[in-house]
Amino acid sequence: MTRAEFLTRLKRGLAGMPASAIADIVADYEAHFADAQAAGRSEAEVAAALGDPERLAREQRAEQGVKRWEEVKNPSAAAGAVFAVLGLGAIDILFLLPLLMGVLGTLFAFFMAAIGVFVGGGFVATVGPFAGPPGGPAVAFLMGIGLMAVATALAAVTTLLTIWLVNGLVWYGRLHYRLLKPAIETQV
Amino acid sequence: MQQRETNAVTEAIEIQLKKGVLALCVLALLSRADSYAYEIASKLAKDIDMGEGTIYPLMRRMQSDGLVETYLVESQSGPPRKYYRLTDAGRNSFTAQKAEWAAFTTAVEDILGAAA
Repeated sequence: MTRAEFLTRLKRGLAGMPASAIADIVADYEAHFADAQAAGRSEAEVAAALGDPERLAREQRAEQGVKRWEEVKNPSAAAGAVFAVLGLGAIDILFLLPLLMGVLGTLFAFFMAAIGVFVGGGFVATVGPFAGPPGGPAVAFLMGIGLMAVATALAAVTTLLTIWLVNGLVWYGRLHYRLLKPAIETQV
Repeated sequence: MQQRETNAVTEAIEIQLKKGVLALCVLALLSRADSYAYEIASKLAKDIDMGEGTIYPLMRRMQSDGLVETYLVESQSGPPRKYYRLTDAGRNSFTAQKAEWAAFTTAVEDILGAAA
């Protein structure tokens, strides 16, 4: 592989990351080729020692996604981290996929249920007292407030579980980094 | 199948071990003198068997963790070169990790010595 080919494949792999991050990473590898050339090494030899550019790009992206998740815990950062880790494409991570989808689906259902119960509780608390409920208006009002409290608690617990799940996945994904070896060796 | 799994596990452990040690080695090199990535990579690739490409993601991570910082030095040939130096946090981390490493290796040596 030539230097130009390596850099092209690396850039293609990094597409979608912030432009400044791509420029930094590409500049590092350009400097590496230049230094190696000054030391009398051939482009092909250097490219082989650096490893598979797509693999390097995937791990850089994974790390970027994980970093963002560590800084901000919001749904888009969580999705970014999950996809970045899945993007590593390790076989055992892909085996986890159906299980993961099931768990994520369940958590999503919990969130939806929490929202539903919250809205329902609001309805009972505001409209209930005027509908002539059994037990009087005060009971309907308190019941509505109670439902809203339950919904809030459910949402909070679900959020915690989701954060744990994403953290666990990120930890597992990081175990799969192979940057320590030329990626070419590890491809079977 | 069993054998292959065992190999995969050993390999994963080896990678994790080396990754931990690698960061320590980079801190050690930089504690002696500021350096640039190619120099660090070629030293480490020779001494501990690691891919040269590894150094760049590691340097980026150490930089975003605040352990190292960069500055540019004009070079006679080509574009300015990016040098790395330790920050105070990096120096502290090196001291702590070095002590930890010494304690760990001593313990392992003792056990190996007792087993021999």
